[in-house]
Amino acid sequence: MKLRRRSGVAERPATVDLFAPALPTKVTSVKPVPLIVSHPDPQPAPRPRSAQLWYAVVFPELKESEAAAMLQRLGACALQFTSLVSIEMPNALLLEIKGSVKLFGSLPDLHARMDAAWSGLELRAQGAIAPTALAALWCARVGKRACIEEAGALTGELAQLPLGCTAWDVQRLETLHAMGVTRVGELLRLPRSGLARRLGPAAVLDLDMALARQAAPRRAFIPRERFRERCDFETEIETVVYLQKALEPLVERCAKFLRERQAGVQALELRLRHRVKPMTRVRLGLASITGEQRRLSDVLEGKLNRLELSAPVRGMELLSGSLRPLSAASVDAFAGGISAGEAVPHLVERLRARLGETAVYGVISVPEHRPEAAWQRVQELSFSVTGVRGREAGMREPAVSTTGLQDEVPRPVWLLEVPLPLSAELQPAPHGGLILEQGPERIESGWWDGKDVARDYYIARRVHGARQGARWWVFQERRTKSWYLHGVFA
Amino acid sequence: MPREAHIDPSLALADILADARVWKLKDTSVNLPPSRPVWSTGRSALDARLPGGGWPTASLVEVLLGTAGLGEVQLFLPALVECQRRAVVAPWLVWISPPHEPYAPALAQQGIDLSRLLVVRPASATEALWAAEQVLSSGVCAAVLLWLQGTDDRWLRRLKLAAETGGALCVLFRPERHRFESSPASLRLLLTQGEPDIHLELVKVQGGRPGPVDFQVQ
Repeated sequence: MKLRRRSGVAERPATVDLFAPALPTKVTSVKPVPLIVSHPDPQPAPRPRSAQLWYAVVFPELKESEAAAMLQRLGACALQFTSLVSIEMPNALLLEIKGSVKLFGSLPDLHARMDAAWSGLELRAQGAIAPTALAALWCARVGKRACIEEAGALTGELAQLPLGCTAWDVQRLETLHAMGVTRVGELLRLPRSGLARRLGPAAVLDLDMALARQAAPRRAFIPRERFRERCDFETEIETVVYLQKALEPLVERCAKFLRERQAGVQALELRLRHRVKPMTRVRLGLASITGEQRRLSDVLEGKLNRLELSAPVRGMELLSGSLRPLSAASVDAFAGGISAGEAVPHLVERLRARLGETAVYGVISVPEHRPEAAWQRVQELSFSVTGVRGREAGMREPAVSTTGLQDEVPRPVWLLEVPLPLSAELQPAPHGGLILEQGPERIESGWWDGKDVARDYYIARRVHGARQGARWWVFQERRTKSWYLHGVFA
Repeated sequence: MPREAHIDPSLALADILADARVWKLKDTSVNLPPSRPVWSTGRSALDARLPGGGWPTASLVEVLLGTAGLGEVQLFLPALVECQRRAVVAPWLVWISPPHEPYAPALAQQGIDLSRLLVVRPASATEALWAAEQVLSSGVCAAVLLWLQGTDDRWLRRLKLAAETGGALCVLFRPERHRFESSPASLRLLLTQGEPDIHLELVKVQGGRPGPVDFQVQ
């Protein structure tokens, strides 16, 4: 009853009245659309041209199992029309085409072209155009080939759509059905506050976004391109040498693929197929991002040389990791193949390919009093040239700033991984083989992590025996009074 | 009408440069041999005895040791710091199969740039020699320090050749027992414990005079 009376008010358009207090705009990435005010305005503002135009395409027959992969592929294909493509699971793509209309001639031309793009698929595609993504999606879902250009026309165009186009959950649709509401237009005539109470604020927000009263930013689809190419052999290959020959064209194509995209990779995988045995996977990590054919083939060659084929190979496949943008600095015109910036990573890769990943490392100094905790191995090496430039420009920090060591406290060049207990004749004693030259330096630390030490460090020299003359860094455990060798002043 | 020179944009730069029609203003293939700087040892008494006044680069320096811990690395640290600071293109130091872990705080204290230090630990002596050859001939390292127990003359020649290609300072540490074997190294040093101090002797100096050096190592 109440509804009827409200809708009967003539001088105020019903929709304007009910939806007036729109939610505050939280996301500002999309140009805000002026809201329609509730009080009667003597001079209505000129209707703005909508800032966006969306094309939605729905594939109703898309199987759920292959939807994600398929939409990725279709999304990459849709990038030919616009740079902003968004995937709407489970079966739709959204394209922002405002800027593309002029490029493709006219909107009907573009619309026809986009519809034609899906005709090659064995899937039914339903496309629609509207100023908001949601409105376009709703039209597309019900198969209405709409082409709405003006935001002001949205209310009228959407009114006839069945409520099923919103893809709301069943419970909400049933509630609405029980209320006798079956079309979007009827829903828009309901009072806003009551709607929010019965259906939840999300439904009201959806309506606002569809009618361009609320900004609706969307996540842009970024294609995840990878290189992936297969090659099958006519005869089985049994030796690594022939395998390398066969791999050359694959690597060449991979390098070309990367070059065309101005991209590089940091990981590669080579899969070798056998007749019976499971596939052999060879994973390669590169020390830095690269797209250079010589580096790629060198690393592959190094890895293959160490590989023992478990069975003859029938075919192989080369896959790249995710593509990364290449920095312009790594291109040197006259270096003849490998540029100066790439030479060190290339060297490290070759060493690692033959000697193993952990055999090549760097060391860093850690601000810590316990000698064994004051350094660490690092596998991730930094090859940037900027660090060197900074050093050249005199920005070099004092070498002891992080260690907290004073210049007058000498430290040995070699540190033993585990302190070596000194036998009785090696201990500093009146008649022993060791003379304490400097010390003690007391190091007492680490009570908080259970590896606490309480030691007195000395610099000592061997005076007798086989290692005569060697300068050692020794310490006496303060609790047990036993002596250990911890470093060598080489 | 002259035929338009067309170059496929997807070609690598190297391929384009290999094209005979492309004239290179700067040709790296006819480059002059790299100049061979000498790194000062940081001790005037030792500098005076070495040809050129310092450790020779692009050659092999061999250090024969009585035992580890005689300050043998200390002997080269001033030169390593110096060459890291001065080499603009290749400030990398590579230490191959050191007998113990290089202690980072000590090296940082002496002025070594740790971010440009690479430690390589090959499983065998052959692998170590291979790694040293690769590193030396790559030409991207300022200095290579290599520790070996024993090796043959042929490998040492290969190392020297690689060092000559790359132009780096190459120091090989070996036990004292190899003293009387022939070696292609252009400079051979012997470090032993004397009475009461460490004793440094130049066993072989190409272009210089061998004999003991009177100075304090540590």
